This record gives sequence, C-alpha cells and structure tokens, in this order.
Amino acid sequence: MHIPNGFIPITQCIVYYVILIVALYFSVRWARNNLDEKRIPLLAVLAAGIFAIMSMNIPIPFGTSGHMVGGALVAIVFLAPEAAVLVFTIVLLIQALIFGDGGITVLGANVLNMAIIGGFVGLYTFKGLQGIVGKYPAAGVGAWLATVIAALACAVELAIAGTFPITIGIPSMVLYHVFIGIIEAILTVIVLAALDKFRPDLLVWNRGDA
Amino acid sequence: MEQKDKILIIAAAVICIVIACLSPYIASSNPDGLEKSAEDSGLAEDFSVEKINGIPDAVLPDYAFANDPENQPLQIVALIIGIIVTLGLGYAVATIVKSRN
Repeated sequence: MHIPNGFIPITQCIVYYVILIVALYFSVRWARNNLDEKRIPLLAVLAAGIFAIMSMNIPIPFGTSGHMVGGALVAIVFLAPEAAVLVFTIVLLIQALIFGDGGITVLGANVLNMAIIGGFVGLYTFKGLQGIVGKYPAAGVGAWLATVIAALACAVELAIAGTFPITIGIPSMVLYHVFIGIIEAILTVIVLAALDKFRPDLLVWNRGDA
Repeated sequence: MEQKDKILIIAAAVICIVIACLSPYIASSNPDGLEKSAEDSGLAEDFSVEKINGIPDAVLPDYAFANDPENQPLQIVALIIGIIVTLGLGYAVATIVKSRN
C-alpha cells in the first residue's frame, strides 16, 4: 500500500509530514528510554527483513497481489508502536529515494498508514485479545486488522486528496486487504514464533511486563 | 557485539538474500491492492493529482537497473543493495537513538 508521488496534493502532504515529525519525536523519546543496546541488531534486522519481504508479492483473488507490511510485527516485538515508526521511516525513505516505491512527498502518509495506524491497531488488538485467545492467535488477528484498517485509512486519505472516489476506493482497498491481511497474519505469527524459539530474550513480551 | 547477536544478523541476512534471489522469479507481478484500487477508480497509470517538480529520479527504479529493467539477476543485485543499505541505516539509527541509561 505504498502511495506514490502525485496521489496526494503537496498541501496535504505537508500535514502528513507534520504528523510524521510529531511521531518521530515520540519515537526517539521512546528509544532513549527503552531501546537497550542488545535490541539494536533486532531493530536493524527487522528493517532489512521488512525491506526484503516487501518484494515478495503473493497473488490474491481478483488478479491482485500483496505482500507483508510488518507494522504490527514490529510493534508487537517491541510492545511499542514507536519502534514501528522508526523502522518504517527508515524502510520507506530508502524505498522512496532509491527504488521509487512509494513517493518521497507522501512519506508522511505512508508512515502514518503502515507504522502508526498499523502499529497501534496491531499492538492494541494483540494486547486486548492475548488474554482471551492466546498470544499467537491474538498477534495474527492484530496483524490482519492492522492491514485492513491501514488500507481503510489509505483509501480515506486518497478520497480526501480527490484521487480515489470514496465509493470505489474504500470498498476496493478494504476488499483486497482483507486477503492481503491473511498473508500478514501468517508471516507475523511465523516471525514471532521463530524469535520466541531462537531469541526469546529479545521479545519484550517475555520481560514480564506484557 | 555478542556472539548470539552476530548469529541473529547472519541468519536474517541469509533469509533476506534468499527472498531477494526468489522474488524476481516468483513474486506476483499482478497489481497490488493500492494499484488495483487505482485501476478500479479509473486512474491512468501515470495519474497525478497535481504536477510536482524537482523530485529526483530513483537510482534503481522498481528494484531494477534502469538500463536493463527486465534483467532478473540484476534485480537480485538491486534487492541485495537495498537490504544492505536498510540493515546499515537501521543499525546506525538505532545506535544513535538508543537508551543512554
């Protein structure tokens, strides 16, 4: 769901950049208090892994495809949506500038959808459900919902921009991302299970304050 | 850096490179959810709501070399460059903003 340059007018892009700057302020403040030395490699490999997996588009119905995003994953690994903001600002900046995937003018909107909305929805769905259904089902539902809600937000932004007619853009984006969200859910659960098996010390949920 | 962190980085790098080697061959070239929604909305391929000037061209547009965009081994190289840059920038940013406690 990388919005390209030209899909949002510059005046509105500025609004999303202001949101990005505020989010980065809180994210750096979070890192200063919570990102310990031993999780530096973890943040770096999550960024690289998300960059890589975004190249792997998987077919879904309607002649469409989708890839994992990872905002919910990062937020759940660190139990902090702020971590997703840091990771996605890095990944989306590189994708926009070097690879022309998602526009530099719409960086703020793309971070808003994939990291802020994706991270918050993923993490808080996980937190709300984990006591009821267990942590992996909760993470899967969180990742799925993060994808669908981020797509909905994206469609609303593009409707405000005058790019997508609201009656077509919203149902289309939600419909496709209901399927793409299944990919997101499966891969999020696999990565969390792998980390829990091989590096349980890195998962903040094992610190006892989840 | 501790041994187990080196293993984490090496394991992640191997997984990323495997993905990079497979993607140019097996990833779906169907439009993604956003592109398909743009099609559904009747937008042209190069749609722009307003003219924006001064944006530099991507160095490796669409994860390929501009002079030979269909060359799949070069697409692998482009992806691996991206993985290395992302890993490096991720590490650098994390080191800068890490906890000082």
